Amino acid sequence: MDKQLDLLQGTLDLLILKAVSLGPLHGYGVLLRIQQISGQALVIQQGSLYPALYRLEHQGAIASDWGESENNRKAKFYRLTAAGRMRLDEETEKWNRMAGIMGTILLAVPERA
Amino acid sequence: MKRFSIFLTRLLAQPRSWWRAVRRRDRLEAEMEAELAGHLENLTTDLVRAGFSPAEARRRARIALGSTVVHKDEMRASLGLRIVDEFAADLRYAYRRLLRSRGFTVVAALSLALAIGANTTIFSLAKQLLYERLAVPNAANLRLLAWTGTKAHVAVHHIWGDYEMLPAGRVTSSSFSYPVYQQLRTQNHDMEDLFAFKETGMNATIAGNAQQAQIEMVSGNYYSALDVQPALGRRITESDDAAAGQGVVAVISYGLWAREFGKSPSVLGQLIKVNEVPLTIVGVNPQSFTGAKSTMQSPEIFFPMSMQPVIAPHGDSGSLLTDTKEWWVNVMGRTKPGVSDAAAQAALDGQLGAVVRATMPVRPNDDLPRMDLRDGSRGLFTQQRTFAKPMEVLLVMVGFVLLLACANIANLMLARGTQRQREMSIRMALGAGRVRIARQMLVESLLLAALGGAGGLVFGYFGSSLIPKLTENAWERSEFHIHFDWMVFGFTAAVTILTGVLFGLVPAIAASRAKVSHGLKETSQSVTRRRKGWGGRSLVAFQVALATLLVIGAGLFLRTLASLNAVDVGFRTDHLLLAEISAPQKQYPAGKDIALHTQLVQAIGATPGVEAVSPSWMAYIAEDMSRTDFISEGVAFDKTADYGEDYNVVGNSFFSMMQIPILAGRPFGPQDTVTSGKVGIINATLAKERFPNQNPIGRRFTNGGGDSDGHGLKSTKEWITIVGVCGDTRYSNLRDEPPPQFFLPFAQQTEVGGSLNYLIRTRMSPEAIVPQLRKVVQRQDADLPLINVRTQQQQIDAETQQERIFVAMTSSFGMLALALASVGIYGVMAYSVANRTNEIGIRLALGAQPRQVLTMILREATWISLAGIAAGLTAALFLAQLVKSMLYGLQPADPVSLISGALLLIAVGLAASWIPARRAASVQPVEALRHE
Repeated sequence: MDKQLDLLQGTLDLLILKAVSLGPLHGYGVLLRIQQISGQALVIQQGSLYPALYRLEHQGAIASDWGESENNRKAKFYRLTAAGRMRLDEETEKWNRMAGIMGTILLAVPERA
Repeated sequence: MKRFSIFLTRLLAQPRSWWRAVRRRDRLEAEMEAELAGHLENLTTDLVRAGFSPAEARRRARIALGSTVVHKDEMRASLGLRIVDEFAADLRYAYRRLLRSRGFTVVAALSLALAIGANTTIFSLAKQLLYERLAVPNAANLRLLAWTGTKAHVAVHHIWGDYEMLPAGRVTSSSFSYPVYQQLRTQNHDMEDLFAFKETGMNATIAGNAQQAQIEMVSGNYYSALDVQPALGRRITESDDAAAGQGVVAVISYGLWAREFGKSPSVLGQLIKVNEVPLTIVGVNPQSFTGAKSTMQSPEIFFPMSMQPVIAPHGDSGSLLTDTKEWWVNVMGRTKPGVSDAAAQAALDGQLGAVVRATMPVRPNDDLPRMDLRDGSRGLFTQQRTFAKPMEVLLVMVGFVLLLACANIANLMLARGTQRQREMSIRMALGAGRVRIARQMLVESLLLAALGGAGGLVFGYFGSSLIPKLTENAWERSEFHIHFDWMVFGFTAAVTILTGVLFGLVPAIAASRAKVSHGLKETSQSVTRRRKGWGGRSLVAFQVALATLLVIGAGLFLRTLASLNAVDVGFRTDHLLLAEISAPQKQYPAGKDIALHTQLVQAIGATPGVEAVSPSWMAYIAEDMSRTDFISEGVAFDKTADYGEDYNVVGNSFFSMMQIPILAGRPFGPQDTVTSGKVGIINATLAKERFPNQNPIGRRFTNGGGDSDGHGLKSTKEWITIVGVCGDTRYSNLRDEPPPQFFLPFAQQTEVGGSLNYLIRTRMSPEAIVPQLRKVVQRQDADLPLINVRTQQQQIDAETQQERIFVAMTSSFGMLALALASVGIYGVMAYSVANRTNEIGIRLALGAQPRQVLTMILREATWISLAGIAAGLTAALFLAQLVKSMLYGLQPADPVSLISGALLLIAVGLAASWIPARRAASVQPVEALRHE
């Protein structure tokens, strides 16, 4: 955990969608998976995770069911819906384009006269 | 496309999710709790695994997760629950506040309830009278055929039905001759099938009981075109209307079925007699159906048009179905899809012109009636002429009452708002937004309005069931009732919300403008607060202005009623009974009817208790009118001139029993018989008009006027000698000055041709004598009912009925307005005195007399009242001009009404401010200063 990045505004939704797209997860599981995939490089405010999950569910991008967790406790599992899948694709594409553009801009060097 | 479908899912998902959250709130809360607890536990377990002690792990986990209360709040916000929660909290808070100031709540809710109730009542009445459509499917595409023409030259001369003057010398009517209807129906391609109907009163014998009934003669396609399904049995069909006199069937109204047959299905096949002709009942109309003519009340018996020549023969040949001169039948049709009204009217207009030329003689000077296609969704809609204006006036007045109530509550709330400034400042200091505070105030107003609205609905319900009772008269059955339906409910709800916003907005804005520092710093120690009271005072002045307006309005109508009641009709009205007997023409043709009535007059005159009896063509002050030409001998006949005068045919005892003075000559007597020379009596006004400065006695005139087409003097003219001049009397109504009038003796008539009125002078009560009279009539003919039995006084009262209803309503509005205005004045003055306790204490300490303080407060209140009264008087002067046509015996700028209204308001203003003024005068200087 040497260098941690704060989350960019508005990327939490995308991260959650991505995490959930790999298989149903409960809230803590979402947190773990994001940290795991990012190689512990991203810090997520634990508290901001749940409002985001509720918002996505409210918007119909994810759905939830109550089930048994790995330690035999009742837990709420989130999964991606068809609409969520579409949104993930779209946002991923948008993100990639943005990243590409940013990269190009930042690579620019002063032109020699 | 993809983006759109994402958007669409969200649009659909959100309300569903929101609704689920709202509905299963408990479960949601439990789930949030469980989820966060589970998260904490997982985190703790992981931390323990990482090597922390359980206690340390729990502590770290809690720190990492942060405040669960905040998280849950944000989770709720994610689901859109925040507004709901805040609204619920506002509502709870508003409820508690209203509960705490119970006095204010009761006064405010009650005044609102009265105002909203009055509005609901008047609205439901107006809706019933002016907006209700016929209870048939797709009433909106019904059209009524009517025509217009010039008054002087239109080719139509004989109308039995509506006839109305239009501007510029034109007239209009919706009556057609039957042959014209038939030909229009055949030629019509621009509307759906045309159908015909005619509503009128006839004698009916139902279950052995002779009575008068409203009937509607209908064409064979009437029911199918209107698309009305019977409640029982079958409808009248084309085959019933095929041949004259063959369709001996009737469909009865639901009301008659319930009243006379107890809703028994065995009514089908029973016989009823209409004008002594037996008809078989084949069907019962649905309850809501009121016939095609009116939306107000259903005729009781419907029978085919083909029965007209048998049941109600008319004119020389008896059959109106072949009569081309008499225009009497109403025609309707539905619009055809794709054909505009203008196109249909143009096509029908062309056809009408051709049909008129083909069916009746049209002289070179005559002009043809022009087709006028009207909205038929409300039938003939005759009530519009009578009620449109009064209803407008009532709606405006009742709207003013509501406005007054709103101003009143706004004022009270504003005063309370100033008291609550501290509360608002604290709430703002704690972080409440201005919008949030304004919303809180608005929720409070709306809750109050809802209380008032609920009360108003109850008042409105009772009010609208009370009104039909006011419109009944003593001798006619009325089934007019006001529907209290969802539209009325919607109106009440809308009015309630509107009032809540109206009176809540000003205090809400005032509260949201409060300065945080202001209310906390200032502790109401300022000496005077004059400037701050300004908003409240102008509201009170506004209330006084509205109250002045309403009181003056009530005064104008009250004085109108008083003038009408004081009218001298010119004859003796007490102990006078009016009744009508309508002898069917089939059994009693010309000559025979005279014999019948002569016998009846004798029989009634011989009845114990009857002092005098006279037949009379018409009843007085009953909107009744008989009019014919009066052409003096020796005057050159001009066919464009109008020789028409009102007249009456009366018995020999008429003048003595009515105590109408004979000013010159003699009354009718036994010497005037069928064989003696024709005689007549004219009234003073007619004498002045036709024989100025001459002695009319001995002069001759004819009433045989023009020939049947109105184009020349009748060749068989018979001169009538004037034998007397009598005093003037009012004629058809109370409002018009006595018109010129002439009288002819009943004994010299050859036919009655319809119903005849009986004037009966008796000292007995109507209840005691009427059964005797009925027996006398039934001895002559068991199927002959005595109809429209009423006293002359009842008849006159019925004439002023509309005015009386108006006075009752406007006076109660005026009273309500006075009460509201006095509450307003009291409220603002009491508040002002309470705020100025310090100032008054200082004044008194410096030597002011209590009397001076009293005068000071009263003067202040009077100034407010005067400002309001001035505004109210100005508005009243302007608005009274608009109701000029409804007034009688006074000018719109009636000084008595204006001055007494103003004085009343000044008195009420003084009375309402008396208690606060006394309180101010009795302030103890020491206490007032210590109060600081």
